[in-house]
Amino acid sequence: MESIFSFCFAILIAPLLPAVIQKTKAFFAGKQGPPLLINYYTLIKLFKKGSVYSTSTSFVFQMGPVVGCATSLMMLLFFPLAGAAPIFSFHGDVLILFYLMGLGRFFTILAALDTASPFEGMGAAREAFFSTLAEATVFGILVLFYRLSGSLSFAEFFSSTSAITLSGTHTALLVLVFIALYIVMLTENSRVPVDDPATHLELTMIHEVMILDHSGPDLALIELGAWFKLLFYSAFLTRIVDLFHFQNFWLSSLYFYAVVTFIYVTIGTVESITARLKMNMVPKFILTPFALVFFATILTMELIK
Amino acid sequence: MNTLFTALVIILAGGALALLFVRRFVLMKMATIVTTSTGCIIGLIYSISHLLGYEATIEKSWNWLHFFTLAFKIDSISLFFLVPIFTISPLALMYSFHYMENTEKALRTAVNYFFFAVLVASMALVVTAANMITFVLAWELMSLSSYFLVVFDYQVKENRQAGYLYFIFAQGGAMLLFTAFALLYHYTGSFDFSSFSSIPEGPKLLIFILAFIGFGSKAGIFPLHIWLPKAHPAAPSHISAIMSGVMIKMGIYGIFRMYLLLDAATPLIGQIVLVVGMVTGILGVVYALAKQDIKELLAYSSVENIGIILIGLGIGMVGVSEKNQAMAFFGFAGAFLHVFNHSIFKSLLFMGAGAVLHKAKSKNIDQLGGLMKRMPITGKTFLAGSVAISGLPPFSGFIGEFLIYYGAFYGVSNHRIPFILAILAIVTLAVIGGLATACFTKVVGLAFLGEPRTEKAAKATEAGLSINLVMIFMAIVCLVIGVIPEPFIRLSFAGIKVIPYTAGYNTQDFMVIVDHISQTAAFFIGLVFFIGLLRKFLYKKKEIGSGGTWGCGFTQPTVRMQYTGTSYAAEMIDFYRPFVPTKTNYTGINKIFPGKTTWDTKVEDVAEIYYQRYLTQPLLKVMNNLRWIQHGKIQLYIAYIVLTIIILLCLL
Repeated sequence: MESIFSFCFAILIAPLLPAVIQKTKAFFAGKQGPPLLINYYTLIKLFKKGSVYSTSTSFVFQMGPVVGCATSLMMLLFFPLAGAAPIFSFHGDVLILFYLMGLGRFFTILAALDTASPFEGMGAAREAFFSTLAEATVFGILVLFYRLSGSLSFAEFFSSTSAITLSGTHTALLVLVFIALYIVMLTENSRVPVDDPATHLELTMIHEVMILDHSGPDLALIELGAWFKLLFYSAFLTRIVDLFHFQNFWLSSLYFYAVVTFIYVTIGTVESITARLKMNMVPKFILTPFALVFFATILTMELIK
Repeated sequence: MNTLFTALVIILAGGALALLFVRRFVLMKMATIVTTSTGCIIGLIYSISHLLGYEATIEKSWNWLHFFTLAFKIDSISLFFLVPIFTISPLALMYSFHYMENTEKALRTAVNYFFFAVLVASMALVVTAANMITFVLAWELMSLSSYFLVVFDYQVKENRQAGYLYFIFAQGGAMLLFTAFALLYHYTGSFDFSSFSSIPEGPKLLIFILAFIGFGSKAGIFPLHIWLPKAHPAAPSHISAIMSGVMIKMGIYGIFRMYLLLDAATPLIGQIVLVVGMVTGILGVVYALAKQDIKELLAYSSVENIGIILIGLGIGMVGVSEKNQAMAFFGFAGAFLHVFNHSIFKSLLFMGAGAVLHKAKSKNIDQLGGLMKRMPITGKTFLAGSVAISGLPPFSGFIGEFLIYYGAFYGVSNHRIPFILAILAIVTLAVIGGLATACFTKVVGLAFLGEPRTEKAAKATEAGLSINLVMIFMAIVCLVIGVIPEPFIRLSFAGIKVIPYTAGYNTQDFMVIVDHISQTAAFFIGLVFFIGLLRKFLYKKKEIGSGGTWGCGFTQPTVRMQYTGTSYAAEMIDFYRPFVPTKTNYTGINKIFPGKTTWDTKVEDVAEIYYQRYLTQPLLKVMNNLRWIQHGKIQLYIAYIVLTIIILLCLL
């Protein structure tokens, strides 16, 4: 029951949190910024609209948003949000989930290529490239977590007896993982310094350019998928921090969302104070976390016998 | 055993029928296809029922030419490898009914069917052979028949060259194989396979490496793969399908059989296989990404999948030497399952490429586009195959990779070198998965989606009925294996039950996980349907317009402005540059009023470059210097013979 409640709450709150990023950026820019509920308004607006489809597109173009949104939802279904256990969980679920995310990407890329637009082709090529690099880091993290906890599921990673928490015995390693995962989060969710959601050229960059031709409810589904994905990654980071344990479900939920909100604020801060990288620098940036994780994994060779 | 041989006889009879009915084109095709397929189906039923039953190994031998013994032995590994042989062959044959339509080439088609039957039978003999003589006979028969299949269109010069290259690699590999067998014979004095393990530990590693290279040239491990991307575009598509889907797996079978027979104690064997697998996997997929010819791309993708299979085998072998039973079990099982899965989706993709080639008259991605609307069935099945080969759930490719991952994760609890290897294997698999996604979004996205780039692509229509039916069937199988993997996983478990070290591993816990995977896949499909329905609901009574793609206000878009295969892959290729050299020809702009300027770029195979530089060219030089031996004077040739006989007499 708590699991289902927690999941529903996450879905409902997912559109709210990105507004926090916008607010933070507005604060740095000395502006008032959009209202916190902006994304709900956007959703309602998009849901009310119809769509215009390019004559070049086929059914794949319409499948892209659906599959993308479904894969992001799957992540939240299997992730132990707040204090609750996930709705579904089994040993090995992380593998299928990260691969499902790959499936979402597969269809997003195809939908972009379906428009026959050179812009979207460029975005698709970048998305395909950068995600292969990020994937290496993600699986490096899974190896390390397996080494630390002996498990392969989100629920077991963050069970109360697990070693994967900053307050546990492997703080130093997990700090490295935290930084690595943070960078992966920025990459996978198309944030600065990899991509710019405000998209000011370098031919419109990655995520935003891929969805140029989507409109109406299709676009709403894409946005929802993106918000769920961002929530998943920040929840992942939050569970690693996990400095305090609360027995009470409500207290731990409160604490959880406080940390999540804080992570969103940091994303906003990063976006306000750093410039986007030049495209040819991005691969190096994405490989940095892999180096960190690999180093952390090598360290475990002597630490854990 | 008798059933199996009956099946083989029927298959060969089907091939002979083709030669008989050569004057009646359609009758010939029907007769061959029906007869050979019947043989295959009998064989398939035989192998699956024996694989799942609890039969002990079956042996049989005959005397041949009073001196040699032809010995056959069927254990679970043989049976498992028989499954893809007998599954893909009838499908490829059915596909060929509408693919081989040129009545002017009737004789050639008949010969093609004949060698097809020989190839199928010889592959079945390869996996059942139990001594060197039998094995070598079957192996050579397989290489030769497939050579004739490749050079179907022998008038085209490139095809002859491709066939020649394949022949060199097949025979070069066989030469190393014979060396390995000769060494073994030197120690055991027997042709029998079962005597291999009795040789001393010392030479085992050398023998394995020789055999590994020999079999590897058939399987297409890096850098012995260069015949694949040449032979596959040359061969007819159903031949590519059977060669890439099934025949190269005979190399895998050989490697694995040799490993089991030698039973060496050194951990190096597993480590070599694993590292070679990783290199093959990554470079295979990067080259696949770099190629614009669909069939060439698929050939490189076969190299990649051989890499994945070797990673699985390597994980298993490392598991054996590390005494990690779970790691060994899942490594081997994953490799086996991937052999089966790959045979299906790779055949499907080659058949799709064949249909495209037939109807759009091109296999170059940069000349295609928009085929999803013109060839919907080919497009959709190709899409399914692409998702499967990228290893994405809920399709079949994921299941095999999942088993390999699972084994590799067990390896993470090892120490030192095996530990590092396990990590590298996991990360490599992840990277291969990502690159495969990039590679197949490229094919589907550029060849099937968007706008047609040429007139011919715009005029393409759906291929014939038999072609479509086969592709639909295979696409469904890919999905079924992904959603209901249990029987197929059991099949691969049954395949490895003769391996002594992993025998008796308790799979109950794992089967629970398999159930969960199956449920997750089904749930995911349900979720996609649900969101799809939601989307339908949201679009109800809405205005849906259509117009051109948004082009930033540009009013004169042309289809040539679309992203091309080259531009899509450019950044990724650049990242792997030292291993994937790109050659650019640019005439440059050097006058005030520039004339015609050309720019083209192509990716060259690094293995090919090095072969040329360090093997072919020096060899040609030496041979050129020896030309005086061949002077065309018959009396001197006779003198050579006499001289040779005298020297031999003195020596012996």
